[in-house]
Amino acid sequence: MMSTSLSTRENKKWLYILGKNWTILFLLGEAIVFSWMGTGFFSIKNFQNILVASTTILLLAAGETFVIITGGIDLSVGFVMGLCCVISAKIMVTLQALGLSPVICIALGAGGTLLLGLLPGLVNGILVAKFRVPPFIATFGMYGIAYGVSEILCNSVPIAGLPALAGFIGNGYLLYYLPGRGFTWFSPPQGIARAEIRNLIPLFPNVFMLSLLAILIFAFILSRTVFGQHTYAVGGNIDAARRAGIPVDRHLIKVYMIASFFAAMGGVMYTLRFVTGRADAGAARMLDSIAAVVIGGASLYGGTGNIIGSLIGTLIIGVLETGMVNLGLPTHNKYVYVGVILILAVLIDQFFPEFVEKGGT
Amino acid sequence: MLLSELSPGQRFLLFLGRNWVIFFLCFLCVLFSFTGAGFLSPKTLNNILITSSPALLLAAGETFVIIAGGIDLSVGFVRGLISVISAIIIRDLYAAGYSPYIAIFWGIVVGIGVGLLPGLVNGILVAKFRVPPFIATLGIYGVANGVALRLSQGFPITFLPPEVGEIGNGFVAYFLPGKGYSFFRRPAEILPEDMRNLIGIAPFAFLIALLFILIFAFILSRTVFGQHTYAVGGNIDAARRAGIPVDRHLIKVYTISSFFASLSGVLATLVFSIGAPTQFSSSLELFAVAAVVIGGASLMGGKGSMLGTFLGVLVLSVLEIGFLMSGILPFYRYVAVGVTLIAAVLIDQSFPELVYD
Amino acid sequence: MKKSFLTIFIVSLLVLVLVGGVLAQEKKPKIAYISGILDPFQVLIGEGIKDKAAELGMDVFIAEHPKAWGPEIQVPILEAVAARGDIDLIAIAPTSQEALIAPLKRIHDSGIEIITVDTYIGDGDYSKPSDWSFPLAYIGTDNFQGGVEVAHHLAEMIGKKGKVFVETTNPDVSSVVERVEGFKKGISEYPDIELVGVEYCLDVQEKAQQQVAAALQAHPDIVGIFGTNLYSAQGAYQAVANAGLAGVVKIAAWDATEDLIKALNEGQVDLVLAQKPYEIGTLAAEWAYKYLVEGQEVPKRIVPGFFFFTRDNVDDPEAQQYIYRMPQD
Repeated sequence: MMSTSLSTRENKKWLYILGKNWTILFLLGEAIVFSWMGTGFFSIKNFQNILVASTTILLLAAGETFVIITGGIDLSVGFVMGLCCVISAKIMVTLQALGLSPVICIALGAGGTLLLGLLPGLVNGILVAKFRVPPFIATFGMYGIAYGVSEILCNSVPIAGLPALAGFIGNGYLLYYLPGRGFTWFSPPQGIARAEIRNLIPLFPNVFMLSLLAILIFAFILSRTVFGQHTYAVGGNIDAARRAGIPVDRHLIKVYMIASFFAAMGGVMYTLRFVTGRADAGAARMLDSIAAVVIGGASLYGGTGNIIGSLIGTLIIGVLETGMVNLGLPTHNKYVYVGVILILAVLIDQFFPEFVEKGGT
Repeated sequence: MLLSELSPGQRFLLFLGRNWVIFFLCFLCVLFSFTGAGFLSPKTLNNILITSSPALLLAAGETFVIIAGGIDLSVGFVRGLISVISAIIIRDLYAAGYSPYIAIFWGIVVGIGVGLLPGLVNGILVAKFRVPPFIATLGIYGVANGVALRLSQGFPITFLPPEVGEIGNGFVAYFLPGKGYSFFRRPAEILPEDMRNLIGIAPFAFLIALLFILIFAFILSRTVFGQHTYAVGGNIDAARRAGIPVDRHLIKVYTISSFFASLSGVLATLVFSIGAPTQFSSSLELFAVAAVVIGGASLMGGKGSMLGTFLGVLVLSVLEIGFLMSGILPFYRYVAVGVTLIAAVLIDQSFPELVYD
Repeated sequence: MKKSFLTIFIVSLLVLVLVGGVLAQEKKPKIAYISGILDPFQVLIGEGIKDKAAELGMDVFIAEHPKAWGPEIQVPILEAVAARGDIDLIAIAPTSQEALIAPLKRIHDSGIEIITVDTYIGDGDYSKPSDWSFPLAYIGTDNFQGGVEVAHHLAEMIGKKGKVFVETTNPDVSSVVERVEGFKKGISEYPDIELVGVEYCLDVQEKAQQQVAAALQAHPDIVGIFGTNLYSAQGAYQAVANAGLAGVVKIAAWDATEDLIKALNEGQVDLVLAQKPYEIGTLAAEWAYKYLVEGQEVPKRIVPGFFFFTRDNVDDPEAQQYIYRMPQD
């Protein structure tokens, strides 16, 4: 790099900018193409829909980011999410039957699940750190166990009978705007005529905002705290990290618990959105979440990647899916596209190694 | 440490630990014979063999890749793709008037031929472009699924000639207690009531799978190619320094995996009489990997064997059918598989190759 | 510097969107159809909707057919379609009685009318006020009655005694649940017939085949099987044929795909119940038009009939129209 002339360094600078931000550019490009070719794609409602629809992948990807940065992988997140979905639904239904108010049912259901949801991560972490089971195996084993337990808990029948407040929260928005009438918080304005309803613009979906909050908190942790630095260190070179005095084993356990926590959150969000507990809640999204993390710039060897990258990766997939439905395209091509994008992502990151972010936004 | 230096007690423990899969398998069979009605019968055995054949093939291909230190996640969907392709060819040739056997023949040949492609691409991505195997095969997994869905429009391919199902579910010999044998076909004059007592011996599907597995088991354990595979998996740099053409070897290994996946797809078409893209919920590739690991391979590479994989697949099949026949919710099986898998690794770790005869 | 440029860019986009969001409405009413899964029955409903809508002068958007049955796949499609902004009414086959209530309600609250076809949400009774009474109508076969009649037909075919088995799809889908309930009720009238099991293949044909094969193993003296939808039935007859028991075990199939009619002809299946998907689609489009354009009130429950195929009438010319033939495209 030192010996290049000024002009080639200028060219390299543009290439550098392109390569470093190819994901954002790709995302914008996608959005523009679909807006132009689709109907109503370019609207607040549609974009918010994309955000809500991507929530599951987003949460799973956030947790997965931590694990992948440490050089591991967590295959159990999909079914841990299902397990937590079932657990949260069961808690809410049981408490409601005991006569508690809906707010308490939901709060305890969500809170209890988030706590219980740390367990699978704890087990994963212990297996990987203390027993040196390869992450692929340990988490795949947990995948099976979580799936089995969740189906057993709900007897293969999705859980019903949850308080209606759950659906209200899960499908509601923070703010509603009716042109001519102004804003209202948390629920649509009273007494709107049916004809006027189409003009109502809902803003900030509850589910997405809650998820975003959690994700931003952990993004901060990853990029600006010692914990985050340790994560990158362990992923970069585990022996060097150990020699530097980082308690690697304990750190790994915490990281897998973070992944598990996000899976639990995904389960709770699902319960709120669909007002039901299903064991297969996260099944379809698991590999998508790993793809999102890798597209976002992480390497499976560890040491690189960040939450914002995973967010962009998730949106790339989300925009693609919604766009294809909007255009009426059969989605079998979606798998092909995501597969190709995934491979491209890795190739690009490889050909431009200096573009890959090493820890930090 | 030499074997002769161990006490008899230690030697026994070692024997147990090394071969725990076989003991576990026997234990399961005994357990299920109590809990499941009719578990220990020839028909159940046939069921297990026929149902595991496609899975056996996937795991066999996966064995090569894992020993070489990689992983192939595309096998499940490649199987679906080739099942669809072979079914389409069989259906169209048959509809065009060709004899069913010709149609089936070409369906198989073309299906397997096309099926070598994904492996080639995987191999090139991994070897030449240094894409991590997890990602490369995940990408191809998506592409294979997309193409399969496109070709089939999402529906299973039906209207295959009945000979398809006959081959897929046929046996070499049939035995009717009290009435005698027949070969290749069911006895012609059989009464409907006797049908239930008819016992099939040596299912075709299983034999075909077994044939290829034996061939490749031989390649793996007794040829230079096999040795190179272990070498590449054990220490890729040392292998390179030793002059092994590592890149070309990896490409061949992934092609082998893809070959087995397509064979599995063709077999699936024969067994189920339809061509269908793989369902998302099946996680076939993960079960293939699980079988290989239960059989003793390490994800780091350099360890494993076809026999081990074979036993691993049997364990999984027995668990599945045993649970089904015992009337236990099938989902306990997932728990069992998960626990078995983790236990497999822990046990293998407890008995490292320090001891040799 | 780059970051602030990006922010300005995004903000200006958003402003454009807010402004442009309240633009011209479509003049022709537009209805969308979201099926439950890709199978001939669901596709034919779409055909019925498409043809009738064209006749009445409405626009139709047929959303992609989900590759597997389940809300996690259907709901994103549902929401993406609703977000287009130009849809007046959605005809949907909800893939779960419970899980679709909240998303559909949200879409209804944004001004789009809902008609459920083939399956329903909640308990299917939209006439009583409840969390799920907002759809205009439920249009679907009387699944319970169909199940009862299948039971009677099957009982006749097996001589009113013996063991029977049911292969079905999901435990939380209204249509098949009612078929199984109806079947059980019908069978209960025959003291010598025993129902030995009900299995769920989750609408996957290979799974149905494996489950039936295992059932034949566990209960070698099964004489009758009821496959509650096309994938269940197709898997069931394959398993029976593979065991060489075609004709010995009587099979009743729900849904008249070409595959099942061919099997009926060849003696591998003994009874086929044809729903009327095309008619369901036609009715959905018709009532959508009546409501949207003429302001008429829509009956909350509309039930087209069904038709039984046996080996005796399978070649009748009048019967051919009930076979689910896929459009050639």
